[in-house]
Amino acid sequence: MKVNHNIKSYFLLSIFSGMKFTFIKMIKNLFNKKKMITLNYPEEKYSYGPRFKGNHILTVKKDGSLRCTACMLCATNCPAQCIRITADEHQDSSVEKYPISYEIDILRCVYCGFCEEACPVDAIRMGPEWQTPDTNGSQFTYDIRYLAHRSQLKGGVESSLDDHERHNWGI
Amino acid sequence: MSDKKENLVSCVVNGKSVTVSKNTSIIKAFKAAGEDIAHYCYHPGLSVAGCCRLCMVEIEGNPRTQIACNTMVAEGMKITNQSEKIKEDVQWGLDFHLLNHPLDCPICDQAGECGLQEQYMKFGQYEPEMNQNKVKKNKVVSLGEKIVLDTERCILCSRCVRFTDEVSKTHELGIFNRGDRSEVGTFNGKELNNDYALNTVDICPVGALTSKDFRFKQRVWYLKRAEAICTGCSTGCSIYLDYNDEGFFRVMPKPNENNNSYWMCDEGRDLYQHLNPKKRLVQVCPSQSINASSSEEAVQGLKTTLENITDKTKVGVLVTGQYSVEDYQAFFSSIKEKTSIEKVYHWFDQKNSENDFDDLLIRGDKNPNTKGLLSVTKDLSLNLVDSLELKNTASHLDVLIVLGPEYNKFFSTLDEKIAMFKKAGQVFYFSSVKLEALDALSNVTQIPLPSLVERGGTYINYKGLEQKVAILPKVISGILNFSEIAKVLRGEKVQLEPVFLKTQKVKDNQFNFQKK
Repeated sequence: MKVNHNIKSYFLLSIFSGMKFTFIKMIKNLFNKKKMITLNYPEEKYSYGPRFKGNHILTVKKDGSLRCTACMLCATNCPAQCIRITADEHQDSSVEKYPISYEIDILRCVYCGFCEEACPVDAIRMGPEWQTPDTNGSQFTYDIRYLAHRSQLKGGVESSLDDHERHNWGI
Repeated sequence: MSDKKENLVSCVVNGKSVTVSKNTSIIKAFKAAGEDIAHYCYHPGLSVAGCCRLCMVEIEGNPRTQIACNTMVAEGMKITNQSEKIKEDVQWGLDFHLLNHPLDCPICDQAGECGLQEQYMKFGQYEPEMNQNKVKKNKVVSLGEKIVLDTERCILCSRCVRFTDEVSKTHELGIFNRGDRSEVGTFNGKELNNDYALNTVDICPVGALTSKDFRFKQRVWYLKRAEAICTGCSTGCSIYLDYNDEGFFRVMPKPNENNNSYWMCDEGRDLYQHLNPKKRLVQVCPSQSINASSSEEAVQGLKTTLENITDKTKVGVLVTGQYSVEDYQAFFSSIKEKTSIEKVYHWFDQKNSENDFDDLLIRGDKNPNTKGLLSVTKDLSLNLVDSLELKNTASHLDVLIVLGPEYNKFFSTLDEKIAMFKKAGQVFYFSSVKLEALDALSNVTQIPLPSLVERGGTYINYKGLEQKVAILPKVISGILNFSEIAKVLRGEKVQLEPVFLKTQKVKDNQFNFQKK
């Protein structure tokens, strides 16, 4: 039987070189906690920049009502087909159409941002939040309340485009 | 022959030569040649108005561009709408149309089938040269029970006004004010509630007129289209049925010169509701003596009941004229084999109003296939007798088989018939639509049928025009169509197809807007 004398075949050596790296890191971390490169999740959380495409947000108008007009372009453009909207007639005739339900099946979502791209009225955005874990299966369908008014949004994110302004500008 | 030749002219349309009859407009010659031409105010079923200026064409030898809808074809004309000059003309025309047109596409119900959108993508895409503000008009104006008007979106093509003047002849609509303040409206607040009002929604080239019933229910690009016929009366208008895997949503007339032209009545547009599970008879409601949980078992029950009856005269068959020729053939031939009956009772409500006609489309006979029923019973040498006879003899019957109405509201003697069902021994009631009054009767077995488009088949209208209905997949599971019923009655096995309708999610998180 021919034995391969390549140094890489002595796996014990590789283990020791790996252990060396681990010990160096451990000792460094013990004496210089601030430079530690890992996070103690979930006590410590990393926040991305505002351009990060994380969890969806439905924006609101200045009066706090939903900006979405239920035009279905996000749902049409969604490659994962995870958006489901039901539209209805609004009591206020200047609004005309609004969604009575807006659901995103977040387990199917691929975070491509096409919904954001398709939206003609800046009603859906992808925000910097990125944590989606949960314990209950039903929690993975984000409904209208969660998307627009979850506590992290502190009363909702205002859209940059408002009907009243548009109307005053004459467009 | 020579006479005919004199009445023909030939011309060249976009390089294609076509021969049309004299006094044909250029736009019709374009249609005959199969060439595309934009138009908003022109409608083949209405008079020519020539106000949208979008069907511009260039005629060789003529320095100015012309509108195609109001210029007649002359011998040897060479016409084109593909030159640079025309493209520029159309672009300017569009610029003018869109001056005050709001950017409502996300809200507008017509988005996806709007002529302005399509034309803008084809010829427009200009930099707007207006720096004034858009003229604001009234947005959500209710024109009656069925229609909403948005005067901002209206491009004043006057199709709807001409429709009420020329077709329905009810004259509700008009164009008021001048210049860029003109808008469509009704006289003295009169409502647009005539029997054909929803046709104005179909012919509106933009989203100015929208149907309250269809508004915001579905985006049109999610819908598929099937061809069918309306079964509301014996005219049997050709229709388009718009549906997707969430159900049926809309009925629109399909142009058919031999029958309904470009129109249909508003009553017929409710047809789609009878095809959705909400109004349907979804499962078997067995009587006390029949033990059945599925449609197949119920028909088996009918089979054994018929086999156990020794006196064949005690079997009655009551039919309405609402089913197709193929349905009747399959049903009657199998029933005849089982019982050798000679006569069939005809449930025909419209004896007095049978020949009523409103001079446009609506007829008194509310059955789409009375002619078909007559011809099938004749072919099978069955005697079709009036159901009035059944009134006194019902109590002698052991079994009564009913092919019930699909559209209950047209049947005025419904209560009388239900009272009569009580007297008969066993009643087997076939229909695709739920009739709640029957639930209280203990001797009636209700057996669901597939709906119009799930059954398909041929329907023969009042003047003998045969029209076919395409077959769509079933939306309710486990129901037998007529050929399958015939198979079960003969003792053969049937295999049922799977259903295509998505189960609707229960929407428990509906967002209710509170006004501030």
